[in-house]
Amino acid sequence: MHNYIAVIFDGTGKAYKGLHALWQLDAEGDITVHGTTVVHRDDLGQFQVDTKETHPALATAVGVGVGALLGALAGPAGAAIGAAGGASIGAAAGGAVGLTTDLVRADSRDQARDETAFVLSAGQSAVIADVSEDSTLAIDSRMRELGGIVRRRTWSALRDDAWFGAYLPSYYLYPYEYIPPAYL
Amino acid sequence: MSMNKDLSQIRAAAQQLHGAISDAAAKRGGAVRADLEAVGQKAKAVTESVKASIGVQNDATKKHLKEAVTDLEGVQKHVAEALKNSGHAFQGSIRKTLADARASVQKVSEAVAAKRFAESTKTH
Repeated sequence: MHNYIAVIFDGTGKAYKGLHALWQLDAEGDITVHGTTVVHRDDLGQFQVDTKETHPALATAVGVGVGALLGALAGPAGAAIGAAGGASIGAAAGGAVGLTTDLVRADSRDQARDETAFVLSAGQSAVIADVSEDSTLAIDSRMRELGGIVRRRTWSALRDDAWFGAYLPSYYLYPYEYIPPAYL
Repeated sequence: MSMNKDLSQIRAAAQQLHGAISDAAAKRGGAVRADLEAVGQKAKAVTESVKASIGVQNDATKKHLKEAVTDLEGVQKHVAEALKNSGHAFQGSIRKTLADARASVQKVSEAVAAKRFAESTKTH
């Protein structure tokens, strides 16, 4: 099964332990990890994505894409509002933000905010990952040991979400274990 | 050395390539160009490794690896373009290089997953 997961933790340190555990499961051959990132929701409700300093256009895409991905893990309505939240991370606005704004319809906004808040409350952190797994057992049991709560959607369900269209959610995730120097 | 280990090493090389391009993209001026020259060589080496591994894989794994070759050839092409370009065209080439590098890691990683799945179904 090719799945996207969000593992929610109380605290950034625990989230990075979860990130490391995921790549460890990959190294042991229990799962295959295609990409990961760590996201926080601050006390004001804004998303923060831990990224390297990189090309400004990429930084915007990462913010929009990861925000959308987090929202999509709550359900289809969450993707657009998640993207709008993530867009604030990028240095430049550009077409991607315009695209998401069009999709944040007033009638779905409140519901979407509720859904994404359900996934990640203020002050929490999450590991978002694109994984292949034969069974959900390996990730679920390891993350439970670390105090994480796993949410999961299939790759095909996310691919069919209208928000993503031609964009593959994985492209916003690091294809290797990336821990910002501040957390090392 | 097992074929799984070979593929894992190729994936690690592709991951390093993506990391190098991502780091280069964050730099400004001449440093980017110097890094890109090294990236071009690295991309060529990873492409050859992937091509060499295709023959011994199952069909699902082969499919992903062939797609990875296409992306890695895109990396080489866009790096070459970036080295010739400047201004907006240069920035555009960098973005395309990054996108292709990320896509190539994804394809190799999916090849690793396909290989592992095939191995696990053999043993169960």
